Amino acid sequence: MEESKEKNLVEIRKLLKELLVENLSLEDIRPEDIKDDEILFGEGLGLDSLDAVEIVVLLQRNFGLEVKDMKQGREIFYSVDTLARYIYENKKTT
Amino acid sequence: MYISGIGIVFTRGRGIDSFEKALKEGWREPSRTGLIPAYRVGPETLTDASLSKKIRRADRFSRMAVLSAVDAYGNSGITVNEREKLGIILATAFGPHTTTFSFLDDILDYGDANVSPTKFSNSVHNAAASYVSAILESRGPTVTLTQFKLAFQNALILAGSWIAEGRCDHVLCGCADELGMVMECACKMKLNIAKDGKINPFAFSDSPVSVPGEGSVFVMLSKEKGSNNYGKVGEISFSQNITRKPDLFVIDTDGMSAYETGYKDIINYDTVIAGYSPVFGSMLTGSAFNFAAAALMLKNQIAYKCIFQDNPFGAKLCVETSAKNLNEIYCIKICRPEIKTIVRLQK
Repeated sequence: MEESKEKNLVEIRKLLKELLVENLSLEDIRPEDIKDDEILFGEGLGLDSLDAVEIVVLLQRNFGLEVKDMKQGREIFYSVDTLARYIYENKKTT
Repeated sequence: MYISGIGIVFTRGRGIDSFEKALKEGWREPSRTGLIPAYRVGPETLTDASLSKKIRRADRFSRMAVLSAVDAYGNSGITVNEREKLGIILATAFGPHTTTFSFLDDILDYGDANVSPTKFSNSVHNAAASYVSAILESRGPTVTLTQFKLAFQNALILAGSWIAEGRCDHVLCGCADELGMVMECACKMKLNIAKDGKINPFAFSDSPVSVPGEGSVFVMLSKEKGSNNYGKVGEISFSQNITRKPDLFVIDTDGMSAYETGYKDIINYDTVIAGYSPVFGSMLTGSAFNFAAAALMLKNQIAYKCIFQDNPFGAKLCVETSAKNLNEIYCIKICRPEIKTIVRLQK
């Protein structure tokens, strides 16, 4: 069970990194350059509020997930790993 | 007003040096990667490490405009400290149509709640001019002027009025147009595309051939003569007759207008004629590229050779690149018999 979850998370993280690079036009960054636990906003990857809106659209389009609660969004958008876990958990329940 | 700097992005690269090199080299085969032979701008031309963060979200259209505008500013060697006195005018025939159509497709595919906000902001016509303004920290007037055939000429008139009334000391005035998939389809249906990839600027035909192009040109226009002066923009007139002979005519024949027969009259002035559309491709805003070529010729006192296949009316063409005493060049665009624009450039 845990092994299957981890396998799924690895796949989601990989896909997320590809989507982030493509949708946020991160020109000088390759998907594999983004660390799983790297902070996305501010210092880490350096994303900003406009990127946050793009990620909201990206989650809706690719995973059918809506993030409306901004407080919750802050936790979810912390890193690729937190995003992947949110997708995994919410996709599973739907 | 004086031309104090030029920036350009076109099929053969970026910068006035690339353009000068292309004018000297002559014709090159267009790319054949799309629906039609065309002079496309490669992705490598649109990257700039020093601007990568500032233009990360910019689409191709905005990138072309930004790079040529920034280059024109840099080429002038002028530092505008009073940012309220730096104006920006972007002229375009079709604007960022690739992004606009993509945005509309996304609404159909994903619904209006799930479209990219960045894509929306780039689809706005004034986005490219806004990028230029933000990057150069201009506080002066910034506008985008959209018109099919005489966008650049009207932009020059507007720039001239801003400078004349003291609203601006400098105006970055340019044009940009891109060749997206939709435009390629439209060109294929509407234009007489040259299958051999060769535009005939001096055939003066009623069914001229074209090879669509894309790119951007910006000129820095200044109230005072700068250290890198290319020349002076004299008069810009519409529907007036040519009353005196310049040293050279530069004409906008590229197959985009069916009224190229109207240019035949210019032969009667017994003055050397040039036109460089085969270097950058057919564009409704091609006037800006020919204007840049004329300015470069005035500055360097060199006339660049014309690229042509046919000269059925025996026009006096510039057949080789050579030093020439150039004091005045007229850039001519004729759309219809009653619409003839003349931009007079002086040394």
